[in-house]
Parts: sequence; C-alpha cells; structure tokens
Amino acid sequence: MASNQTLLTAGTEDRDLTRLEEYRAVGGYEALAKARALEPQAVMDEITAATLRGRGGAGFPMGRKASLLAKDTGRPVYLVVNADESEPGAFKDRDVMRFTPHRLIEGCLITAHGIGSTSVFIYIRGEYLHEFEVTRAALEETRKAGLLAGVTIVLHRGAGAYICGEETALLESLEGSRGQPRPRPPFPPVTGLYDAPTQINNVSTIALVPKVLELGAAEFAKIGVPSAPGTAVFSLSGNVAQPGNYERPLGTTLRELIYDIGGGVANGRELKAVIPGGSSVPVLTPDEIDTPMDYDSIQAAGSFFGSAAIIVVDDRCCMVQLALRAAQFYMHESCGKCTPCRVGTRWLVQLLTRIEAGEAAPTDLELLENVCDRMLGRSLCALGDFAVYPVSSYLRKYRAEFEAHVTGAGCPFVGESSIEGIIAPIAQHAHPVPEVVGG
Amino acid sequence: MADLVSLTVDDRPVQVLPGTGLVEAAQAAGVEIPVFCYEPRLGPPVGACRMCLVEIEGIPKLQAGCTLTVQEGMVIRTAATSEKAADGQESTLEFILVNHPLDCPVCDKGGECPLQDLTFRYGPGKTRMTFPKLTFDKPIPVSPLIALDRERCILCYRCTRFSEEVSEDGLLVAVNRGARSLIATFEDEPYRSPFSGNVVELCPVGALTSTLYRFEGRPWDIQNVPTVCTGCPVGCNVSATIREGKVKRILSRNHSEIDRGWLCDKGRFTYPHLRARDRVTTPLRRGREGLREVTWEEALDTAEELLREAGTAVVTALSGSETTEIAYALGRVLRGGLGAHSAVLPEATSDALDAFRLPLSAIAEAELVVIVGDDPVVERAPIVDLWVKEAARRGAEVVTCSPGGDVQTSPGGGAALCGELAERGSKLGKRLRAAERAVLVWSGPGGGGGARIAELAHELGFAEKPGCGAFHLPSTPNGHAVAAAWSAAADAEEAGPAPIKLLVVSGDEAAADPGVRALAEDAEHVVVITMFQELAGGWADLILPATASLERDGTTMNLEGRLQRLRRTVPPPCPDELTWLSELGARIGVALAPDAAGVYAELAERLFRDLPLEDLGLQAPLPARKAYEAPAPATTEVSAAATATPEHFVGELKLQRYAALFSGPAVERVPELRFQRPEREVELSAADAERRGIASGDTVLVRSNGTSVELRARVSRKLIEGVARVAGEHAGDLHATVEVVKAP
Amino acid sequence: MRPEAVAEIQRIRKRYPRSRSAVMDALRIAQTEHGGWLPPEAFREVADALDVTPAYCHSIASFYDMYHLEPVGEHLVEVCTNLSCALAGAQAVLDAFASELGVRPGETTEDGGFTLRAVECAGGCGRAPVVVVDHVYHEPVRPEDVAGLVEGLRGE
Repeated sequence: MASNQTLLTAGTEDRDLTRLEEYRAVGGYEALAKARALEPQAVMDEITAATLRGRGGAGFPMGRKASLLAKDTGRPVYLVVNADESEPGAFKDRDVMRFTPHRLIEGCLITAHGIGSTSVFIYIRGEYLHEFEVTRAALEETRKAGLLAGVTIVLHRGAGAYICGEETALLESLEGSRGQPRPRPPFPPVTGLYDAPTQINNVSTIALVPKVLELGAAEFAKIGVPSAPGTAVFSLSGNVAQPGNYERPLGTTLRELIYDIGGGVANGRELKAVIPGGSSVPVLTPDEIDTPMDYDSIQAAGSFFGSAAIIVVDDRCCMVQLALRAAQFYMHESCGKCTPCRVGTRWLVQLLTRIEAGEAAPTDLELLENVCDRMLGRSLCALGDFAVYPVSSYLRKYRAEFEAHVTGAGCPFVGESSIEGIIAPIAQHAHPVPEVVGG
Repeated sequence: MADLVSLTVDDRPVQVLPGTGLVEAAQAAGVEIPVFCYEPRLGPPVGACRMCLVEIEGIPKLQAGCTLTVQEGMVIRTAATSEKAADGQESTLEFILVNHPLDCPVCDKGGECPLQDLTFRYGPGKTRMTFPKLTFDKPIPVSPLIALDRERCILCYRCTRFSEEVSEDGLLVAVNRGARSLIATFEDEPYRSPFSGNVVELCPVGALTSTLYRFEGRPWDIQNVPTVCTGCPVGCNVSATIREGKVKRILSRNHSEIDRGWLCDKGRFTYPHLRARDRVTTPLRRGREGLREVTWEEALDTAEELLREAGTAVVTALSGSETTEIAYALGRVLRGGLGAHSAVLPEATSDALDAFRLPLSAIAEAELVVIVGDDPVVERAPIVDLWVKEAARRGAEVVTCSPGGDVQTSPGGGAALCGELAERGSKLGKRLRAAERAVLVWSGPGGGGGARIAELAHELGFAEKPGCGAFHLPSTPNGHAVAAAWSAAADAEEAGPAPIKLLVVSGDEAAADPGVRALAEDAEHVVVITMFQELAGGWADLILPATASLERDGTTMNLEGRLQRLRRTVPPPCPDELTWLSELGARIGVALAPDAAGVYAELAERLFRDLPLEDLGLQAPLPARKAYEAPAPATTEVSAAATATPEHFVGELKLQRYAALFSGPAVERVPELRFQRPEREVELSAADAERRGIASGDTVLVRSNGTSVELRARVSRKLIEGVARVAGEHAGDLHATVEVVKAP
Repeated sequence: MRPEAVAEIQRIRKRYPRSRSAVMDALRIAQTEHGGWLPPEAFREVADALDVTPAYCHSIASFYDMYHLEPVGEHLVEVCTNLSCALAGAQAVLDAFASELGVRPGETTEDGGFTLRAVECAGGCGRAPVVVVDHVYHEPVRPEDVAGLVEGLRGE
C-alpha cells in the first residue's frame, strides 16, 4: 500500500492538468473510453465493487445510491454534482476543480454513461469564481475535442448559502426555488431534479471514478481500509504548522495527519482540541487522535468523518467562544424552513453569548444542553444536528471551561483567547439581533 | 377494490387504503397527530413545522408523520403513548413560543387558534425564554383586506404555498433566510389577487387576519350560519359569522365538489354592502317634491294602482341574482295576475348541457380542458379558475380559445370555433374525442348560453364518457333558475309590449344595467326593487327595498346545475320580498305563500320534480345527467349591451368589453375592495400598440364617434390583433369599434 | 439593464428544462448591471425577462449572501471570520481593514469606495486568514498586508 499514491490529485504536482493535452498525457480520458465500451451496468458494478463511498460527508456508497435510481419512469435521468463546498474547514473540492477539472469532467461522463444520463448539472458554490472559470474552460476544451458524445454538462453557480450543500436543498436551488430541503421520502433517486430520478454526488466522489475504472475495483480496494477504500483529501487548518490539502489513504490516523504531515501544532503551542470532519462534527480531545480517519472508526470514536476537514485548536482558544462562533455560523446559514433549527440556532447563540459575557447562571448550562437535546434529530435536515454537535460536544468535553464562565469566575482567558472579539457575519447583518454582541 | 393496509396507531389497529397519509390514518383510528404546516390542498407535504413528530417502531429518529404514507404493519406512537414523541411535540411548541408574542388578549385568532389549542394539549406549561423576542413593526397592511403580524407568524409557509401553488399569483413570498425570514409582498405593494382572503383562513395563528373582522368578535360571541355565496354562479358553500344580528365575516364551508374550501375575495369580503350608506330600508315614492318615504301600505297601494293601469303592458327586468322563489313569485304575480309575460331575462344556461353534467371537481381530474369564450374564467367564476390550475398542475393540457388565449379568437368568435373543433380535421378536436376525461368550458357572453358548447360536446361523444363534461359560465349567479322559475309561473307566451306602460326592475344588477335604463326611458312608470337608493333614485317612480342574499331563505342553482339552499343569516332591515309579493298578489287575486318554504313547495312540483327543500341539506348533491336534447339552432346574436355603430365612423379596433369580477353595486360599496377593482386600462396587442407608438403605461384616448375615454394603455403579448379590451365599467358609451391614440 | 444583458438571460434560460432555474444567473447579471446591487427596479427587470413576479425574484435574492439588496461600494472586501481563519488571526485582519478604510464591518465607506464585511467560510482555510476582494481570493492576508492592499485598490 503506497502511502503517497494519489488518485484525485495525481499528476497535479508537475503538470498543469487544467489543460486537456496535459491531462491526456497522464492517461486522461482513457478510463472514459474504457467505460463507454462497457455496458452501463458493468460500469456501476465496478464502482459498487470498489466500495467507493461518497466524499461529501455522509460516506454513502456511490454504487448503492445509483442502484436506487427509479427505472422506466418516462423521465430523463439526471446527474447532479455537488460542488457547493461550504463546510467550515473544507477546501478539498476547490483543489479538484482548479487543478484537475478534467478529472471531474471525465468522472461525470463515465457516471453519466453508467446511469443512462445525458444531462449533468454541476452546482458550484458562488464564491468559487476562479474555479468556475477554470472548469468552464476545461469543459469547452472537452466539448471541442468531441468527448461529450451527446452529454450536456451545465455549470450552475450558487450564490452563497451553506444549506445548498444539502442534497435536496441543492435541487430546490437548482430548480429556481429558495434553497430549502425537501422531506424524504421521496428520495432523489426516485424524485429528484425536475421530479426525475437523480444521482447526486460530491465533486471528489465523481472525480475518483476515472481512477476506479483505470485501476479496477480490486486494485482500488487495496488502498485505504476495507470499509472505506481509496484515498481522501484531508484538509488541515487552524493552529497547525503546515495547513493545506493532503491526499492520503483512508485510515490514516489524526496523529499522523496533524504531526507527521501537518508539522504539528503551530508556534510550539499545545494541542487542545481536534474537529475531524469540519465544524459540523463533535470535537475530539488530544487523547483521541490515534483514531484512524475512516468513516467507521471516527464514528466509533463518537464523531464523524464528514468532509475530512481537520481543524486543529491550540490551548490559547476559549472553547465557549469557539462554540459561540460555530453557533453563529449555523444561525446565519439556517434556511429557516423548520422550527427546531430556525428557532434553536438563534436560541443557542443567545445562550452562548450570555455565557461568554459572564452573565449566565449554572441553570443556563442545563438549558443549553436541553435545547441541544430538543434540536437533535428533530429537524428537516442535518443542519439542525450540525448546529448541535459543536455546542454539545464542547460543553461535554470542556465542561470545566463552561462552568468557569457561569460561576462568577468569567472567561478563564480574560480577554486573551486566540479568537477574542471575533465578529461573525450574523452580528453585522442588516437586521441585527440586538442582544447578540458581536464580540 | 384495493387491499387495505393494516397498521396500529397508539396500539389501536386500523385499516386504510394504500397511499393514505399517517395523519389521516391516525384520524381513522381516532387519534390526533397535531399539525400546522400540513394541508393537502396546498400540494405535497413540506415537513416544515415538525409538529407532527411521531415515533415509528424500527426507526430510531422521530418522524414527521405528515410526510409519510402508511406501510403494512407500521406501529406508530404519538404523544399519547410515546414519551419521545411527546417530548418532540412539546419542544416544537416550545420553539414556536420562544418568539411568539403574548398577543392572545388582542389577537383575533384567540379562541379559534390551533396554536393555543395545541399548546394546551401538547405544549410546555411555562417558558424558559429569558431573552428579548424577535420584534417587527406590526401590523403590516398586506392589502386593504389583510393585515400581517410578523411577530405572530410561525413560518408554516401555508400562505406562501397558497400564493405559489394554488392561486399561482407569486405575490406573497418568504424573504430572507433563517431566523430573519419573514412573509412579504414586493415593495409593500398590496397583495392583489382575487383569492387573497384564503390566506386568512389558512393561517393557523393570528399572523394573517382580515382587516374587516379586526376586533369584531370573539369565537364564543358568534354564531356561524351555513349558506351559499351568490357573488357568481359557482355557489361556493360558506358560513356567515354573525354577532349581534350583523354579518361579521364569511368563511368557507368546504364543499369538496364545488369549492374545495376556497373562496374568492368578492364572496368573502362583499358582505359590508349590507350596511351601505345608501341602503334603502323603507319604500320611496316619487311625488312633486321628488322621492319621499312612504309606508308599505302606501307603497303597495301605488304598486297595485300601477299594475292595474298597465295590465299586460308590463315588462319585468330580472337580475338573475334573485332566489328561485322570488323569481317565481314575481312570475306568478305579473304573469299569472296580469298576463304580463314580457321580461328581460338573465342569460340562461342551455338545458342541453344537462347531458354533460359534472361536478366542478371533475375539472381537476381531467387530462384535457378546453376553454372557449371572450372572458377570462377568473372574472366570471373565479373558483373554476382554481380548478383549472389544479388540473394543469396534475398534468392536464389546458387550451384557452379567446382573444388573449393560447388559440386566439376574435371577440364573438367562440361559436365558430366550436364548429371548427367539431370537424374531423381539427387536431384539438381529435384530442378531445380521444380523451377519457375532457372538459369544455364556455366562458363569456353569447354562445347560446352554452348551447354551442353542448352541441360540440355531443359531437365529440362526451355523453358516453362519465369523465367528460361541459360547463357554461353564466354572467349571473342564479340566472338559469330565475329564467326557469319565471317561465314556470305561467304557460302563455307573448311578445314585448310597445309602448311599455310599466317597467318592473328586479334587483341591483338590472337596475345598474344601461340597457334596462334605456328601457326605463321608454316606460311610463318604473318600479325598482333595489338595495341602494343611488342606483334608482334618479329614474324610479317607486322604489321597494330589496333584501340581500345573506338575508334570504330560498334556493339558488349554480353553474353545475346543482340546486343549493340559501339560509337567512341575519334579519333584513325591511320585509322579505316574498312577504310583500304575497300581499301584492292577494290584492290582484293571486294566491302565493309568504315564505320561501311555501313558494318552493309550489315551484318544486313544476321545476324540480318534487325535491323537498330539507333534502338539499348542507352539502347539496349534483343531479344525474339527462339524455341529450339538441338545443335551438344558433341565431344571429346581438349582445344586450352593444350599441350600433353609426355608419360614418368605423374604428379599426373592435372594442371588447368585459365584466370584471370586482364590479357591481355591492362591490362598489365596500371601500376595502376598491384596490381589487379593474384598472382604468385598455389592453392592446403588441402589434397594434407598436403601430400607434404606444407603450405600456402611456395615457391614451379611446375614441368612437362622439365619445372619448382617457385610459392607461397596457400592451399584452397574448391579445389578438385588432381588439381593444376594456372593463365594462370604464367603457362608458363607446361604440363597438374604436380608435386608440396616445393622449397629447 | 442593457438589451445585451437581457439577451444573455434568455440564452441562459435555454440551458434548463424549466426557466426558473435561470433566476440565479439572471439576478447576478442584473446586479452587475446595477452597479453591484439589486434595487427594486432590478427585480422588475428580471421578472420581466423570466415571466415571473418581482416578489419571487426578491424572495430568491434575499435568501443568498451574494446578492446585495443595498448599495455596495466600488470594491467589496470580505474577510472570513469562521473557525479556521479565526484561529489564524482573522479578527486582527478585519480590524486592520476597518481602521484603514475608516468603516465598521458590514458598512460602506462614505465615498462609496469600499464595502467591508465579515463572511463565513470561504474555502481557503489552508492559507488562512482569507480575504476575498471583488471575488478574487487573497490568502493568506496578514494585518501588515492590509494597508498595501487597500492602497492598490484605491489606485484602480
């Protein structure tokens, strides 16, 4: 098992893979030719056999998802690529699009063939203007080279809403409605985009498809771990010495990623907390960093693989402030459709603001916990849960810090926390929540 | 018969049809799953409010019951038998109440408020919220009819879904995101839709309220009297809310075949006309000093005198809004008592359509709907427009054949189009023949009152297909039964007298009709039965106060051919027509019962095959189809309101007048409805406008010989060339052809 | 909106089976046509171009962060203050901009030259702190870089 074999970023170290002839020079579009010579079902069987799990966060096997597509509905089958990457700490899909867009396009074309689709939509977050332009140029090259073969790929730009990374909210946004999730059932493979059967996958999942076809399922499965084969691009950020994207096999431990690859905690500080999968997952403490980064292991440790966006927190950071900042993010991004998330995210911000200001009582901690309990599992989509995980896990694992805030001792960092005074967008909005202090 | 699905709800076994939602399944088991955002008439469930959280065995997370359908063997637990579900429902209410203001004492919804009720049943006993609540300016006028209180809003999106999915006006929307979300119109423009009032009934809290009902009553002070609306020929089922002898508001009573629980704003908000400033409550007689109040004794003396003097030279103008009984009573007195058979009758629906009878709800089931006629359906029978939209949403093909439709026809060209559709070469005709469920609708004047559409339906073979049918949308609410009752009152026929010694005008619509007024100029004397003095004050010799439909017992027949029962909701400020008609009849030797039940009993023998009044019930049934009888062949039709064009003036554009929904004496007397009235506009096709250098918004003069009207131009991309469309009330004395020029 | 912009919207409509899907791009085009923000007039124009209502267009625009419903400055300076950037010292960068521009986060300078605002995760966490200026990513930006950055923009 080569520990530095790359799949997603293969070839990007020394070639400009945004250009078609460079991509071809490293074997680009050969997997497509191979796939098109196969029966569509054979392509999907290969993907299923490779146990390619979705790299968007949920880790749902791509092949199994495709097997749920409704057949013979009289409607077209759509492929939708989720390039709305907005999870705090995540920046992996961005690199795929700006450094190796052709790999994404090839993945789209192979998948389209496999599921019987001639209509692909790539929903790319609005802020990624440069990545959109690069991908658009690559798409034009592909079109001119005659590689599309009747498949249309539409690049659809988002306009700034984290919730549009949720599958059904993305579909709503694509259709021209407000980006609010739909109740499931029905599920997108049955009723998805424009009421038609739809396969939705993350950018990185689709961009792995060419390598799956190139290597074959058996070889692919040799990389990573049996329950989660292949590589993932781990995004290191926060108080780490060498932040950045690092493609490694699934199963690499957090310790390896932070210390061996990331250079350890920056500025010689102590590690205090690690959020393994983007801000939406429960926090892990330093004694938990020997957990391998694969879906099942991280879940067993009480968190989630998510976007593999590893945020490193050092000992200068007040966890109450961090909880507040996270809560402010979810309040800003809540779509407002369902009651627990719309109301709960705001209530969490109000409670944490009061706690951080030293104006709360111990009963407020119980209330905070209970509000979290009452939100968890009750919302229309996972955002309601994501808003809870940071708050409830920081409270659970750093309780002493929270208690210090409410027993008259105040914030232990006495104005010196590394994120002291951080201003969240929600605090500067046109209709400010008056009692929310920006910091 | 499909196999039923068995499941249990709170340990109660129940069996329901496959595809049944959990809320209905629980209902069948006698269990409540509380809801806010769930409303099947608004489209698929959205799962937004989370009030319906239930526990389902085998699924770890609580589920939104309203979004699921039953599965065999499902075990569902609600708050009654599941602590988890009870906590879920309590927390939903706690979250809703976190920002909900304590407005109950001043909120109109109090006492009939689902949020109050569900909080008592499932909610927390006290609040843990110690922060300032989200506040907004309140109330915001969404329109002169509707007030919005954003603090009370629980963002269930029922109103926005109605605007988008039912009335499809796209005017009431959600704005912003997350906790900052709120409901709004664009730039505070009023919510101008013929159906806006439905959002008040849909709103589960006091966020959207009726301005007319603001602070007017509490649910424990009122009574609801069931009756039927007569604002248009649909005959929606309504409840009148009564307090201290006054009508305070109109609510829907939901007849699943007629209105599906929706009302138009005309039906919902016109009731204040009962207390119009110029309401006539005592008879008025013209003397040397003008109109003077007289007693009923004096009034009937005068009426008797006029009748005896005129003898057979009486013409009666009927409005078509009378109850069947009033029309019959008039017929018995005038035709039976005097032999005065001549009448200006409202447009009647052709009996030939009885062979293609369908409930309105069948429109929603249709695969193909073809609408023929000059006027938009929404102006003639608004709820039918909602049914057509529902059909389109379900995938039906809808084709309108009108001056502004998918198939452009000239005004008055509908009859010819029917002929074309009947021909074998017609593609649309072919599709109509092939369809199992197709509906034809005639929407506009002429067409033989639906005769042409009946002929077409017969040609297309509709009689054999239970899913195929046809509708005529008449211009009056009860015109068909009024004409039938008048006819049934006596047997003879006679041509119109000349000169007219006495004109009897029944009802406000007739009193406001320029054609009737023209007749009045030829008559020696005029008796007008009207609610409003200003309508007849200038030209009547005797004014007898009329009652309003809300004040009448009796029957009315809607455009389906369904006979429905009107119930008196409040006593009128004057005697009921049947009372004094009976007295007047007695004076000239006609025996007539003084009440609706009595009159009905007599006319039912002749008209309705002995259907007892009691059997009409609260939700009247639709009679069965009859065998087809070919109608009288088409004659050259002259529209009653058309004025001849003098020979030396021929305008290039054909003037199409249309009767707007929000027009008429009753609507004019409700100030809050003014914004719904038709704009002072003339609609032109893009080509005609361009030729004249006219753009939308320009002030223009619409001219015909001798008269000119200043209006605002509106360019329509869909209107046929050669036509200028103007609302009847703005068209004044314009001739049948006009010219339109930009105003200097 | 210039006829070319309207024509572009009609072209975009054709890419989708349902024309409402074009609303996001249409609003973006209208925003550019109106100098970086969407006045009420813009919603009427987009509504006209797509055969929808202005209320619907406003409902969509107000949902997303990248549509501005109030005037913005010639230059839009967005500083990410989410977790990773915060940990890397984003507040000091935001403070430096506020001080250099003489304006509070969320506001526009009086001369209409700059709008400064804090934003949520921009996706540049690997090179934090991230500042996006007129949709171009600058990563990382340190407080000491701010003065030079602003001067460069003023010069444009």
